[in-house]
Amino acid sequence: MEEKQLSERESLLIIQQMISRAKNEFVDTGVGPILWGAVITVCSLVQFLQIQFDFKLPVDIWLLALLAIVPQIYISIKEGRERKVKGWDQDVMAYVWLCFGVGIFLVNFVNNVAAHQLNPILSEYSKLSGKTDVPNFWTFGTSYLLFVYGYPTIVTGATRKFKLMTFGGIFCWVSAIIAAFTVAKIDFLFMALSATLAWLVPGIILRRKYLLQKDKNV
Amino acid sequence: MFKELDPILHSQLRLAVMSLLIGVKEAEFTYIKEKTGSTAGNLSVQITKLKEAGYVEVTKQFKDNYPLTICKITSQGITAFEAYVKALQSYLPK
Repeated sequence: MEEKQLSERESLLIIQQMISRAKNEFVDTGVGPILWGAVITVCSLVQFLQIQFDFKLPVDIWLLALLAIVPQIYISIKEGRERKVKGWDQDVMAYVWLCFGVGIFLVNFVNNVAAHQLNPILSEYSKLSGKTDVPNFWTFGTSYLLFVYGYPTIVTGATRKFKLMTFGGIFCWVSAIIAAFTVAKIDFLFMALSATLAWLVPGIILRRKYLLQKDKNV
Repeated sequence: MFKELDPILHSQLRLAVMSLLIGVKEAEFTYIKEKTGSTAGNLSVQITKLKEAGYVEVTKQFKDNYPLTICKITSQGITAFEAYVKALQSYLPK
């Protein structure tokens, strides 16, 4: 770019061009949403199959979600190092998803405590009353998780103006309501569908956009 | 009535740098160089002028043992940029 006397129109054109170039830079790599979308979908489906066909894997399938934190940390560090520019909303988004991680841990913790205390009482009541349709706590536990899934997804989708992700987040909330009335087995199907719509599919679309943008910049 | 245009901003490269920085929190020198298509030497001179005017903040650090220059627009820079755009509008036919 050479130095020369600018006309007013040229000045406006430069401003417009540069703002547009900076805007094009903020394309998410999509790796994070793909990773979590795939992990939660697989875990939920395996959980569904375990209940449906009455079998139990030697290990808790949800350990996979715990293990996924390792590649997520690696991805975050790598993307942070490669990023040459930082947008205004990047810190906010990072805090939103950090709060999501802590939120999931807290909800799981409280769910486990509640299930540990309530399920024996409900089971006892079922035996005494002879009723077979007494629900256990886990019938409701997934609703809380689905609500937490939806929260950061809607915030991210709305902030990044990515309608599909916002829709995915809303679907998580709708699933949270439905899951309050369905048995645990069906809840896990809704969880799998929510993770697919909220993260996996938007993640794949983001990845394609990112690769397309990368090719253009080369 | 035409408003006077800020001479610091009324330069092709300096205006391009400010227009890039207004939309982001911070950017590396290499990113600005790539987006403006300028030479490192010229860009360095113009960024120094913007820094001296108090419009940008320049931080130097190391990344993988290589020097890294990060530029960030200041609140004074944002005010000046907004005033410049407002002044530009007065030149345009209504």
